[in-house]
Amino acid sequence: MTRVTIDPVTRIEGHLRIDVEVENGKVKDAWSSGQMWRGIELILKGRDPREAWFFTQRICGVCTTVHAIASVRAVENALQLEIPLNAQYIRNLIVAAHSLHDHVVHFYHLSALDWVDVTSALKADPAKAAALGESLSAWPGNSRRHMEGVKKKLESFVAGGQLGIFTNGYWGHPAMKLPPEVNLLAVAHYLQALDYQRKANQVVAILGGKTPNIQNLAVGGVANAINLDNPSTLNMEKLAHVRDLLLEVKQFVEQVYIPDVCAIAALYPDWLGYGAGVRNYLAVPDLPLDTKGEKFDMPGGTIFGGDLKTLKPITSFHDEYFRDNVAESVAHAWYEGSGELHPYEGETKPQYTDFDARGKYSWCKSPRFQGKPMQVGPSAEVLVAFASGHEPTKRWATKVLDTAGSIAKVKLTPAVIESTLGRHAARAVRCAVLAELALKHWQLLVDNIGRGDTNIFNPPTFPKGEIRGFGFHEAPRGTLSHWAVIADGKIKNYQAVVPSTWNAGPRDGKGQPGPYEASLIGNPVADPQKPLEALRTIHSFDPCLACAVHTVDAEGREIARVKVL
Amino acid sequence: MGVGNVLMHDDALGPYVLESLKAKYDLPPEVTVFDAGTPGLDLTLFLTEFDALIVVDALKGQGAPGEVKTYTGPQLQEGALPITLSPHEPTLREALMRMALVGKGPGDVFLVGAIPEVVKTGTGLSPRVRAAVPAIEQHVLRELLRLGATVAARESRHEPDLWWERPAA
Repeated sequence: MTRVTIDPVTRIEGHLRIDVEVENGKVKDAWSSGQMWRGIELILKGRDPREAWFFTQRICGVCTTVHAIASVRAVENALQLEIPLNAQYIRNLIVAAHSLHDHVVHFYHLSALDWVDVTSALKADPAKAAALGESLSAWPGNSRRHMEGVKKKLESFVAGGQLGIFTNGYWGHPAMKLPPEVNLLAVAHYLQALDYQRKANQVVAILGGKTPNIQNLAVGGVANAINLDNPSTLNMEKLAHVRDLLLEVKQFVEQVYIPDVCAIAALYPDWLGYGAGVRNYLAVPDLPLDTKGEKFDMPGGTIFGGDLKTLKPITSFHDEYFRDNVAESVAHAWYEGSGELHPYEGETKPQYTDFDARGKYSWCKSPRFQGKPMQVGPSAEVLVAFASGHEPTKRWATKVLDTAGSIAKVKLTPAVIESTLGRHAARAVRCAVLAELALKHWQLLVDNIGRGDTNIFNPPTFPKGEIRGFGFHEAPRGTLSHWAVIADGKIKNYQAVVPSTWNAGPRDGKGQPGPYEASLIGNPVADPQKPLEALRTIHSFDPCLACAVHTVDAEGREIARVKVL
Repeated sequence: MGVGNVLMHDDALGPYVLESLKAKYDLPPEVTVFDAGTPGLDLTLFLTEFDALIVVDALKGQGAPGEVKTYTGPQLQEGALPITLSPHEPTLREALMRMALVGKGPGDVFLVGAIPEVVKTGTGLSPRVRAAVPAIEQHVLRELLRLGATVAARESRHEPDLWWERPAA
């Protein structure tokens, strides 16, 4: 038995630590540990609920928008406040564009190097790479001229010693299987994706006023004054710019991201068999279409044991099935106590012991739904949408399965979504669906304004006494919920149950492992000193634990510490 | 650009210095002041818009808390990137390196900051880091001057807008 600890020591202030026990080249057991205490909820106690979103979006540097959205929804839920249609559409455009940005960055810039060997691309024949790219899609950036340019660029990086940007990959690892031409195509798209993630983020900046940390929200609506002819408000020129950007991003997703995911899935077929982990799924509905939050463009619900027939829908912003069944366990987390508490009663009382695999070993709590661990994120969302008969999701999921299957010459079923590479495929499907829906909501907004409705805000009033509210959002990493208890117009308790806690949380009081832990069991690890395979599965969840602090490490040169016992 | 989490004590150094400078000086229109929070790659949107970038941030490195350090663009971009478990590790270096790769980053980059003492949930700078603020401001002003920006002291100073330090009512 070999014990491997992966602990990125370059950041003092907390991150994710993974421990795996490897036996006969496979992971036998695994522990996931959040190494940072957040407890930002404590800062909110006693504050005005109308300003909570301004603080909660500072919880995380990457996911600022999502914590702002969930927070205003929680306070609006407590007040049973309806939101003007324009405000819903503007928020929907922001969350869709944020997801598009986030998913493109995740696939190309944060996890592609788990699958793509940059040095192998140097051996590629640009003409063959171009022919391959052109066989996959009509993307103009796949031409021979482009491939020759990228190869030349790579060669100049090598000559100039500038490959540092790619050194967080495992070059030449035996688990790297792509032919040189596919690697060259992937590097070309990696560079092009830098432009398209930026275009998606520009939509957030135009509508949100600024990114990161949007400025345009309010409990009760948005602060984007609408006057189509006024240069200082949301006007036709800005709306047209938003549409152009969304169209460009949509083309990139459909002609580059989707074919790339299909090719990688087809060329690494083993990875459609590893990494399923927890097979209970939770997704919440999003992109509301009405003022009350009872009709949505993306469905939500639960699925248990990977059986799509168990689908139970979550249907509104006041859904009792969701509200009453979430609880967080601290049995193995560094907090006082050992039981489960509903978020309204949630406590944040730290009690650090040390890493004890049989006792407490993480700063993450363990969220549970009806006492069960749940996987959240794109796989959950796509499976729930598929089971709900959601037309765009079924169409794109079928296209991805058919395309990957035809490259690999096998028949793929939706069951392969429950895997390490299936998680990447689900994220690409979600992007294609969101790119379509973003344009739909753009049209809904323009049509609604065209009917003369320019309302953007319904003012909140806070009653005497205690009220409670929850707000959820299907964020890029999955179901996010904020829970607020408000007394006499001031925050009395506040808890955020975040997607990476659902997925990265430790075992609960019954010893049930969380999704990261369960997904690693059975994974191959060829070389315990270079546990690329474990990173592939963990990265497929798109973990986000470390971003609450930014202390720039200008001198640190140490890579992640991999300790083998 | 100020970088850092305002709700994590000394990590708020970047945004703190920005607000302090804004309260004391009139900055010319070609200078944009930007509180970036704790950004990931969404920073690249901002990086493409400017010729030069001055960053203020809390710094991890050798030295005592409150010690002021400066770095140039090339210093920030040398060396390898670490292997990470979470793809959302703070990414100033990564963002600069990626934009340099496609030739769209700012030509001139300067980083100044101090080594933090207290980085945990809560607001307000520790005394040693707060004491470093005037020296950091001088570095920023000197750098602005070197870049050709004219900075004038305000006739009437106002209090810096440290919204995150305001106590709950």
